[in-house]
Amino acid sequence: MEKISVIIDGRTFEAVKDQCVLEVAHENGIYIPSLCYNSEVASSGGSCRVCLVEAHQGGRMRLVTSCNYPVREGLEIKTDTPLVQRIRRGVLELLMARVPDSEVIREMAAAEGVTGVRFRRDEGENERYKCIACAMCTNVCAEVVGVSAIAMVNRGADKKPATPYYKPSDVCIGCGACAYACPTGAITMTEKDGVRRIWDRDFNMVTCSVCGTPYIPEAQVDWIVRTTGKDRSFFDKCPDHR
Amino acid sequence: MGAINSIEQLEAYRQELEDAAVTDLPTVMICFGTGCQANGARPVAEAFTNIIKEQGLELNVNIGIKTTGCHGYCENGPLVALQPQGILYLKVEPDDVPEIVEESIKGGRIVERLIYEDKTTSEMIAEYSEIPFYKHQHRIALRNIGAIDPTNIDDYFLAGGYVGLVKALGMKPDDIITEVENSGLRGRGGGGFPTGRKWRSCVAVDSDVRYVLCNGDEGDPGAFMDRSIMEGDPHTVIEGMIIGAIALGAHTGYIYVRDEYPLAVKNLSSALEAAREKGLLGEDILGSGFDFDIRISRGGGAFVCGESSALMRSVGGDLGEPRAKYIRSVERGLYDKPTVLNNVETWANVPEIIVKGAEWYASLGTEDSKGTKVFSLVGKVNNTGLVEVPMGISIRELVENIGGGILNGKKFKAVQTGGPSGGCIPERMADLPIDFDSLTEAGSMMGSGGIIVMDEDTCMVDVAKYFINFLVEESCGKCTPCRDGLPRMLDLLTDITEGRGEEEHVAMLEELCDLLTWGALCGLGTSAANPVLSTIEYFRDEYDAHIRDKKCPAGVCKALITYSIDPEACTGCGLCIKKCPQECITGERKEAHEIDTTKCIKCGICRDVCTFDAVRIS
Repeated sequence: MEKISVIIDGRTFEAVKDQCVLEVAHENGIYIPSLCYNSEVASSGGSCRVCLVEAHQGGRMRLVTSCNYPVREGLEIKTDTPLVQRIRRGVLELLMARVPDSEVIREMAAAEGVTGVRFRRDEGENERYKCIACAMCTNVCAEVVGVSAIAMVNRGADKKPATPYYKPSDVCIGCGACAYACPTGAITMTEKDGVRRIWDRDFNMVTCSVCGTPYIPEAQVDWIVRTTGKDRSFFDKCPDHR
Repeated sequence: MGAINSIEQLEAYRQELEDAAVTDLPTVMICFGTGCQANGARPVAEAFTNIIKEQGLELNVNIGIKTTGCHGYCENGPLVALQPQGILYLKVEPDDVPEIVEESIKGGRIVERLIYEDKTTSEMIAEYSEIPFYKHQHRIALRNIGAIDPTNIDDYFLAGGYVGLVKALGMKPDDIITEVENSGLRGRGGGGFPTGRKWRSCVAVDSDVRYVLCNGDEGDPGAFMDRSIMEGDPHTVIEGMIIGAIALGAHTGYIYVRDEYPLAVKNLSSALEAAREKGLLGEDILGSGFDFDIRISRGGGAFVCGESSALMRSVGGDLGEPRAKYIRSVERGLYDKPTVLNNVETWANVPEIIVKGAEWYASLGTEDSKGTKVFSLVGKVNNTGLVEVPMGISIRELVENIGGGILNGKKFKAVQTGGPSGGCIPERMADLPIDFDSLTEAGSMMGSGGIIVMDEDTCMVDVAKYFINFLVEESCGKCTPCRDGLPRMLDLLTDITEGRGEEEHVAMLEELCDLLTWGALCGLGTSAANPVLSTIEYFRDEYDAHIRDKKCPAGVCKALITYSIDPEACTGCGLCIKKCPQECITGERKEAHEIDTTKCIKCGICRDVCTFDAVRIS
C-alpha cells in the first residue's frame, strides 16, 4: 500500500493512496458530515452531496464528495470554507424541504446553521416520509446481502427504493439490513408475535431455544444455509446464547 | 462480391464501381430522412418509381432513383433533388411527380412552383447550391448526406468512403492520434474536449482491453444533428470509429443510440452488416491483421444517458446513472477499462481529417475551435433545418443569411444554444462568433448544436421554465441538488409566471443555480443553471415585469394576460364566435364582438383565426 501525504484543513496527514478523503479526515478527528456513505458498501456514496469539500490540486479547485474522492500526493482539502458551508447548507435545506419528518436531517441541518426552509415543501413528502433516495438500502441488499430484493425505481424527485412492481418480493429474506443501513431511518420494519414485517411482507422468526426471543427470519436462515452450507441447527440459539 | 481481403482489392473494387457508374445519369434524389418521410416522402418515391416504369423511361433514358439521408431543409420536405442539374424541389407531393418527369426530366425545364422562393427578396432559386440555406454552408460531417443512399455501401465507396481507413491502416497508431491532435478537433457532443488529447490519454493507460464508444444519445429538445448523420451517412461514423480503434488499439466498439431513433438504428445496423460483409469490420480488416467490430447498444431515451458515465453504465446493462468522474473514463470507463467516448459528429469528422490532413481541417474555424459544426437551426426563423458552417460564424449570420431572418418580419430577440445545458443570448450580442469558448463566456454553451431562435413573442421567463421543467423530468434523481433543487426552481419559476412572484424569488433562483453548479454530481446538474442564469442576466426586466407589475411583456404567460377585441379593428364577421371553445365571445353580425374574460381560458384560438388582427393581448 503506497503511502502519501495529504493536507486537510492546513494539517498534513499520512494516508494510503486512493483512500477516500472522508475516511482520512475521520481517522484524524476531522468531522465531515455525511449521509449516504458506508465504508462497508462499495458503491455507496456520492449522492447526498452533504460531504462536499474543496479539493485543491495542480492549481485547480473544485468541490468534490469526500466520501469517494481518492487521496493523492499533493492534494489539499478544505472542509470548512465559506463555499463549502454555503453549498452544504443549501443541500441540507433541500433535504429538509424533501423530508421534513427526518430528525437526522433536521439535526444535521441545525448543526450546520440551517434553521428553516424557505422553499415550498415537496408535494410528495408524505409518501416519501424520510427517504432521501441515496440508494444505501438497495446497494446493501445487492452487494452485502446479495439478494437484490429491492432496487431504485423512477427518476428525478420520484426516485425511490421498491420491490419489483411494488409487490411483496419473493427473494427478500427479511434480514432488515436495508433498514439498519438507512441513514435516515426511512424503512419501516416491525416485529410482533414472532412475525417481522418489512417491504409489505411477513416473515416468521426463528426463536432462540435458550431465551425464547424471536431473533432471525426463517427465510434468512434458509438463505444462509443455502449459500454458505452452514448447519441449520446453528440457528437454534441466538448469538447471545451460542 | 464478398469480403475484401486487401487494400489493393478495395481500390480495385472502387475502380470497378466508378467504371460502372454513368456520370451524367439523371438521378432523382428523394430525401428519406425522418422529417421528409413524416412529410410523405415515401408516396413521392413510389410515384416516381411507378411513372418511370409506366412510361418506360428506364429503357430510353437511364434514370436512377435514390433515397437519401436528410438534406437538412426539413421544414420544406419532402425534398426532391434532380441530378446532374442540381435542381431542388420543395414540398413535393405525389401529384407533382408527373409534371416533374414531363417538364424537368424529359424536357429539361424547371417547375417554377416547386422551387425555392426567397422570402425577403422574392427571388426564385432552382439550384440547390444557390439557395441561401445551402449556399453559406460548409459540409464536412454532412458531406455525403443527401447525396448518397445510406443503405448502399457502394454509394459510400463512390463518394470516397473508407479512403480514410485505407490511409489509417498505413499509418502508425501514434501518428493517427497526432493527426487528430493537430487538426484541433474538439468533441462535438457539447463539452468541446480536444479529441486527440482524449485519445492520447487513453493510450497512455496500460491495458489489454480498450473500448471505443459512439454517443448517439442526442436528447436536446429540437436537436437532430446526430440522428441525421446516423440515418443519412452511417458509414462515416463506422469508418471514424474503425480509425479510432486502430489508433487506440481497441477491438470492440459500441454505438449507443436511443431506440426513439428507429431509422438510425435500422440504417446503422444495415451499414454494420454491409461493412462486415465487405471485410471492413470483424477479424483481419482488409487483410491488415487488425480485428475490430462494432455493436449497437440501444438506449431507452433518457437524457442523462448522454452523460458519459451514465452512458457507459447503460451500455454495460446497469441503470443509466452517472458516477463521480474522479477517475476519468479514459482510464476506467466501460467495464472499468480505458474507454474513448466520442459523439456521432466527432466520429463523422475523423475520416475526412485523415484523408485531407490536419492542416486542412485546422485551416477552418477559429483559433481555438477548428473545423465546422453542425447546427439544428429551429424556432422563429424562415428557414429551419440542419446546417453545417465553419466555427466562428456569427449568430447573426446564421440567423439572417442561412435562416433567412425572423418569421413574419417579427423582431429577433434571442437565441438559445446548447439545449437544456445552454443559455439564451440576446439579439444585442448576436455578432458573437459561434465557437466553444465564446458561447461559454456568454453564459451559454455550444452543446451538441441546437440553436433555437426566438422572436419578440417569446417570454424569456417561460423559456427558462420550459427548460427547467425538461430537466426536472430528465434528472436521474441520484444527487440532492439536481433531484430536489430543480423542482424547487420550477416552483419559483411557476410562481413568477403565474403572478405569485415575489421580490426575493430571483435571489432564491440564483442561490439554487449556485447550488447546482457547485454541488451537482454530473454535467446535467452542473449546467442546469444556465437557462435560468442567462435569462436573469440578459432579460432581468422581464422577470421584474412578471414579479412587480404582474405582466408578461411578450404576452405568453396565461395568468398574466387578458384577451380583448379591438372594436375599431373588428368587422363583426363572427368567426371567433364560432371557433371559441368556451363560447365566451358574443356580438351581433357586423358589430364589434366582445370576450367574456371571466370564462376565457386564453387558448388564443380567436387570435389565430381572426383575419383582421382584432384580438389583442394585454
